Amino acid sequence: MGLPCGTHNYTYDQDMAILRTKTHWALLIALLVLLFTFPLYGGGYWLSVANLIGITVIAAIGLNILLGYCGQLSIGHAGFIAVGAFTSAILTNVLGLPFLVGLIAAGLMAGFIGLIFGIPSLKVKGFYLAIATIAAQFIIIWVINHLEITGGFVGIAVPYASIGGLVFDSEASMFYLIMVIVVMCTFFAKNLARTRVGRAFVAIRDNDLAAKVMGINLFYYKLLAFFIGCFFAGIAGSLMAHWIGFMNAEQFSLMESILYIGMIIIGGLGTALGPILGVIFIRLMQQGMIFVAPTIEAAFPALPAGFATGIAPMLFGLIIILFLILEPRGIAHRWMLFKAAYRLWPFSY
Amino acid sequence: MAELLQYTVTGVTVGMVYALIGLSFALIWKSSGVANLALGGMVLIFSWFTYGMVVQIGLPYWIGLPLVIIFALAVGWLIERFALRPLIAQPILSLITVTLGVFYFLEGLAIFIWPWMVDALPRVFPPEPFHIGTAVVAQAYIWAAVVSLVLFGVLTLYFRYHKMGIAMRATADDQFAVQACGIPVTRIFSTSWMFACVVAAIAGVLISWIGGLHMGLVEVGLKSFSVVILGGLDSFIGCIVAGPIIGLAENVGGGYLTPLTWAGLKGVIPYIIIIIVLFIKPYGLFGEVRIERI
Amino acid sequence: MKGKRFLMVVGVLFLALTVAALPFVGACAAKPAAGPTLKYGMSICVTGVAAEKGTPMAHGKLDCVKYINEELGGVNGYPIEAIWYDNAYDAARAAVIVKKIMDEGALFFTTNSSKMMSCSMEIANRDGFPGIASFSSPVCTNPPKHIYAQMPDYGDDWAAFANYYMENIWEGPGKPKMALHLLNNPTGYGARDAALCLADELGIELLPEEEHAADTISEMESMTRIKALEPDVLFISSTPAPTAVVIKNAYELGMYPGIVIGCAHASYTKALVDIAGADIVEGVYGVYGTVEWGDDVPGMAKMMAYCERYHPQDAENMDYMFSWAEALIGAEILRLALENCGYEAIAWGDAAAWECVEKNGIQKLDYDVLGLQSPVKYTPGDNRLAKSVRVFQIIDGTITAISDWIVAPRVPFEQYPDLFPWAVP
Repeated sequence: MGLPCGTHNYTYDQDMAILRTKTHWALLIALLVLLFTFPLYGGGYWLSVANLIGITVIAAIGLNILLGYCGQLSIGHAGFIAVGAFTSAILTNVLGLPFLVGLIAAGLMAGFIGLIFGIPSLKVKGFYLAIATIAAQFIIIWVINHLEITGGFVGIAVPYASIGGLVFDSEASMFYLIMVIVVMCTFFAKNLARTRVGRAFVAIRDNDLAAKVMGINLFYYKLLAFFIGCFFAGIAGSLMAHWIGFMNAEQFSLMESILYIGMIIIGGLGTALGPILGVIFIRLMQQGMIFVAPTIEAAFPALPAGFATGIAPMLFGLIIILFLILEPRGIAHRWMLFKAAYRLWPFSY
Repeated sequence: MAELLQYTVTGVTVGMVYALIGLSFALIWKSSGVANLALGGMVLIFSWFTYGMVVQIGLPYWIGLPLVIIFALAVGWLIERFALRPLIAQPILSLITVTLGVFYFLEGLAIFIWPWMVDALPRVFPPEPFHIGTAVVAQAYIWAAVVSLVLFGVLTLYFRYHKMGIAMRATADDQFAVQACGIPVTRIFSTSWMFACVVAAIAGVLISWIGGLHMGLVEVGLKSFSVVILGGLDSFIGCIVAGPIIGLAENVGGGYLTPLTWAGLKGVIPYIIIIIVLFIKPYGLFGEVRIERI
Repeated sequence: MKGKRFLMVVGVLFLALTVAALPFVGACAAKPAAGPTLKYGMSICVTGVAAEKGTPMAHGKLDCVKYINEELGGVNGYPIEAIWYDNAYDAARAAVIVKKIMDEGALFFTTNSSKMMSCSMEIANRDGFPGIASFSSPVCTNPPKHIYAQMPDYGDDWAAFANYYMENIWEGPGKPKMALHLLNNPTGYGARDAALCLADELGIELLPEEEHAADTISEMESMTRIKALEPDVLFISSTPAPTAVVIKNAYELGMYPGIVIGCAHASYTKALVDIAGADIVEGVYGVYGTVEWGDDVPGMAKMMAYCERYHPQDAENMDYMFSWAEALIGAEILRLALENCGYEAIAWGDAAAWECVEKNGIQKLDYDVLGLQSPVKYTPGDNRLAKSVRVFQIIDGTITAISDWIVAPRVPFEQYPDLFPWAVP
C-alpha cells in the first residue's frame, strides 16, 4: 500500500478504507458526476466510443482478475465474451426472456464454460495454459458457428435491452446502463483484491507451491478465478450483443483475445486502475487508426497505394513494442510514479 | 478402402507441412523459452519477399531463394535486437506480448509493400500428382515433407553436437548459469531467432507453392500450435511425430466423422486434440516434463 | 543509463503525441469542400484481413467521386463529400464508425463487406439510416428494412448459376447431383441457404455440403468424399485462395475436367487463375455482377482513364469497377433525392433527411449504371437493387463472359421460418 511518507493510519477504518481522505472522496464524486453527465456534452460518436470502452473495460476487468491477480494466462477471452453474447442473444431473441435474465444467464454461462476450460490450469501453467485457452476460443467459435440455435454462420439479431418498461434504445441510455455496470464491476474487483479470495489469488500468482503449502486449495481458487473472470466476460458480451444489435461469431476472433491481453499489460497487470487505463489507451488508439488511412489518402494522394493501408498495423505494433520496452509495468505504474513525484515536488527524482 | 488410403496419405503429407512450421516455434522455445506469436507474420513477410524477388524483380529461383534466406537472417536479427533484447529479464508475459507487437508490425509491413495481398508464386512443381496406390498427392507436399525431415535432421544434429546448439539448450535451461559461464546470451538469442526465421521462410515458400500467397498464411501458423503441444513445445522429434498425427486425425478422423456429424468438423479437430493432450499428458509426447512437487 | 532515460522521454513524448494527435489530425486534414455538399458516408476495410478487397474498392469509390466532382461539377451542382473511415474488418469499429458517419450528417452509408454491414446494420436500422451493402448477404436484406444491396448476394449467385446450369449445361434425364463446397462464414453458407430453398424447385439433387476454412492448404479429404458420391456439378462459394485449393484437389483426384465447377463472385477473380494455374482452372464457370474490364459500355472509358491516372496498379481489378459502379449509384441516389426533396430538406443529414433519401432516392432508383453492372431498380419487398448477374467462364486463362444479364430470383427465405428464423419480419 503506497502511503506517502509521513502519513499514518490511526484507526482500523482508516486503514481499511479505499478512499482515505476527503480529497479522495471529492475527486471520485467529481469524476462520477463528470462521467454520468457525459451524454449531455458528448456527441453520438463519442458516446458510442464511450460505450465500446465501457463494454471492453468490463471484460478487461475480468481478464485482469484472472491474469493479473491470479496469474492464469488466458488468451481465449474473446471466446468467453462470445459465449455471453450469444447466450444473451438466444435468451432474449429466441426465448423472449427479459434482458436482466439474459444478462445474468450470460455471465453464468460464460463463467461455467470458463470453468470447464480452466480445468487444465490444475496441471499446466504459463504458456501451456495459454494454448488451452486458445483452443477453447476456437472450439467455442466453431460450436457457435455450427449450432442451429445460435443462427449458425449467419448470426442472430438481438433486440433492445429493456428493464421493466424502460427500453435502452439510444446510445445515451446504453451509456448509463453500461457505466453503472462498469462502476459496479470496478468496485467489485477493487474489493476482491482486499478479501481473502483476492489474497489467495495473489498468493497463487506469486508462488503457487508456497500457496498450497500454506493451505490454499489450488483447485478451488484457480477455478474460481476462471469463473469470475469469465463471468465478467459474459456480462460484457451480453452488453455488446444488445449494443451492436446483431451477433455473428466472426466478430470474436483470436486477434480480439490477444488485444485484450495487450490492453491489460499496457494498462498494468494486477492493479485496479490498470484495465481501465489500458482499455482507454488501446480503444482511443484504434479510433485514431480509423482516421489514419483517410487522412493520408486525402493529404498525400500521390503516395503509393500500400502506404495508408500498411501504416496502421505497423504503427499499432510499434506502439505495443515501444510500450513494453519502455514501461513494461504499464500505464498504472507510470501513474503511481507521477503521483509520487507530484507529492514530493520539488524534491522528486 | 481406397478412401482410407487417400485420407492417410493426405494426412501424413499435410501433417508434415504443419510440422515444418512447428519446427520454427520449437526452435525459439527451445533456446529462449519465448512463445513466438509472430510466427504467422514471419511466414507472411518471407513468402511475400520471395514473391518480390522472383516475380517483381524477376530473379530466377536459384538466386531468389538464397536471397530470401539472407533476408530471413536479417529480419531475425533485427527482431531479436530491437524487440526482444530490451526485455531480456522481463516476465514471460511481456515477451509474448511483444512478439504480438512484432506480428502486427510484420503484417503491416507486408501490406505496406504488397498492398494487393493475394497473389501466387510461379509454379515450380508440375501439376500432375504422385500416385501412391490409388491415392494421389500433389508433388509440392512430397517436397514439403522431404524438406521437413531434412530440416529436422539438421536441427537435431546441430542442437546435439554443435557448440552453439548445446549453448542454446543450456540457455533455455538456466540463463543466469549460462551467463556465469561466460557465454554471451544475447548472441545465442540472436542466432536462435535467425534460424527460426529461416525455417519460417522455408515453410512459407512451400505453403505458398501449395496454396497461394494470401493473408490466410497467418492462420496456418495457428494450426502448428496443436502440433507443438502434442509433440512437446521444445522437442523437434515431437514436431515431426506429432505433425503427421495431427494431419491423420484431421483427415482420417474428419473423413469418417464428418458425414455423421457436421461439415467442417476437420477444422476443430486439432483444437480438441490440444485440450485432450493438456488433460492427459500436458507436456506432450516428447516434451521435457517439468516436475513440480512439494 | 542516460541513454535509456533519453530514449524513454522521447518514446513517451512520441507515444503521447501520436495518440493525442491522431483524432485531431483526422478532423483537421479532412477539409470539407467549400459550400454546401452532399455527404456520402463510407465504411471501408482498407486495413485488416480483407484489405485486398477493401483497398481497390476504396480507390474505385473515391476516384469516381473525384470524377463526379471534377468533371461533372458534382450532382446538380452540389459536390459530393466522401466521409470515409477505415473499419479494419473489426466489428466494434464498424459499429462506432456508423455512428460517426451518422453524426457527421451523411445522407446514407455504404460498406464493402457483408460482415461489416451485419455489424453496422442494426445500429443504422434502429435510427432509420439507409445503407447500401456492396457485397451483401441475405441477412442484410431480409427482412427488408433500411439496408439495400448493390448486387445480388451469395445466395442469389447460387440461384443464378443453378438456373443457368439447368437451362444451358445439364442435358441428362433426371436430376443432376450438386455438391457444395463452402467457406466457413456467411459467404459460403449464403449459397447453401439459397440452395436449401430453391433446389427442389429447380430440379437439383443436393449432396451434403462440405466446409473449408480460409487458410486451408488441402481439401483432399472432403473432395474424396464428394468424389465418392459422383456429383455432376460442384459449386464453390468462397474466396480465391481456398477455391484454388479445392479446384487443384479436384484436378488431382481426377474429378476435373469432368464435372462442372461453378464459383460465386467472391472467389472469381484473377487471383484464382494465378494461384491455381491457368491450365487447371480452364473451363471453370463463375458468376459476377459487373461486365468485364474493357467491355464496350458507356461507363467504361472514364473509369479506365481514372484508374490509369490515379491507381494504375488496380487495372483489371473487378473490385475497383464494382466500387466505381457503387459510387455512380450513390450519385444517382443523391440526384434523385435532390430533385424530389430539394437541398434544404436533406442538408442537415438528420432523420428526416435520411427518410427522404431512402424513400425518394433509393426507392425510386431506375438506373443503368452506365452499363458497368446490371441495372438497378428498386421493387417493393426486395431490397436488392440489382438483381441480375452474368455467367463467366475461364477460357484460355482469362475470365470471359458467356451470357447476358441473368435475373437471380429472390430467394424466399421467410417461407422457411424454421430454417431461417432471421428472415421473419
